[in-house]
Amino acid sequence: MTDQAKLQATVRERLGSRYSRRVRDAGGLPAIVYGHGETPLPIQVDAHSTIREFHKGHKLFQLEVEGVKADGEQYVLLKDLQYDHLGTNIVHCDFARVDLNERVETRVALHYIGDAKGLGSAGAIMMHPLEVLEIECLITNMPEHIDVDVSGMDVGDILHASDVKLPLDTMVLMTDPEAIIAQIVVQAEAEAEGEEAEVGATGAEPEVVGKKTDDDSHGDS
Amino acid sequence: MPPYKIPKRVKHRKEFRRARDRKATKGNFVAFGEFGLQSLEQCWLKSNCIEAGRIAAQHYLKREGKLFIRVFPDKPVSKKPLETRMGKGKADIDYWAARVREGTVLFELAGVSEARAKEAMVRVAMKMPVRCRFIKRRLSV
Repeated sequence: MTDQAKLQATVRERLGSRYSRRVRDAGGLPAIVYGHGETPLPIQVDAHSTIREFHKGHKLFQLEVEGVKADGEQYVLLKDLQYDHLGTNIVHCDFARVDLNERVETRVALHYIGDAKGLGSAGAIMMHPLEVLEIECLITNMPEHIDVDVSGMDVGDILHASDVKLPLDTMVLMTDPEAIIAQIVVQAEAEAEGEEAEVGATGAEPEVVGKKTDDDSHGDS
Repeated sequence: MPPYKIPKRVKHRKEFRRARDRKATKGNFVAFGEFGLQSLEQCWLKSNCIEAGRIAAQHYLKREGKLFIRVFPDKPVSKKPLETRMGKGKADIDYWAARVREGTVLFELAGVSEARAKEAMVRVAMKMPVRCRFIKRRLSV
């Protein structure tokens, strides 16, 4: 189960893209804390350590905001990440205030364990259409990841979301049970060649939707 | 000459050039595979470049893994013939292109190791008319 990492934060007094950019330049990460009927609080955290925690799979944090008096310990759940235009650098994150006794809906990453025996066949690859599962659980029971054993999978086998054994019985699967999380497919030779079947030859023109015949459209010319 | 992809049906035969200098707000992360090739510049990517990239990847990977092509050449680009006076209407279509913006993911790979994917993408990037970089699937919440 997930342990609570600690986050040290300071309140952002000045808001807007210009000041957020200055925060990022100084090694900070702009963030917002909301929820539980309280006023949203714009904060900034240390970018390097926070993003490292995100990559470890941590989502639940014990938040200490400098200069803000909280009644007891404040816990927040990572709700959203914003990326830059290249989609790689995190530029902002959202935290929701949570109580340790409440149930939350969250996404948990899947870790695939074992070498599937079907991958020995020529051209066989394992596809993962879904790499996260949405579950509802008590916040203290939230797993960092769920291990899925794929060692028994052969060519053509499909693993659905309902096949995953959740760590605790109290957890409820919110993802569609029929959703595919892993399957082993063989790249057919037809597929490699087949792409060219859809391809138009050079110089060929596509059909124009709703185009009338030449006699109808240019009757007077 | 290898056949190139073009749309099967279009609403209009020719279209305006339109603005180009924008950043990608969608299609800018790895969505289907595990690794991807991302454009760092904008361009009109010709259909033959896409095909060249596909062939380069498949020759290297030898049908290992799965290649996803994330762009489709749906934009007709017209060009007047040489030594032609201006006017007399819009010229015939010269080629079909995909609108690529800064950040657009062009190709994705699944089912191969990172080292193999990187090598394959280097070969694909050589066929592209823009600067590209190798990216991995990003953190999702």
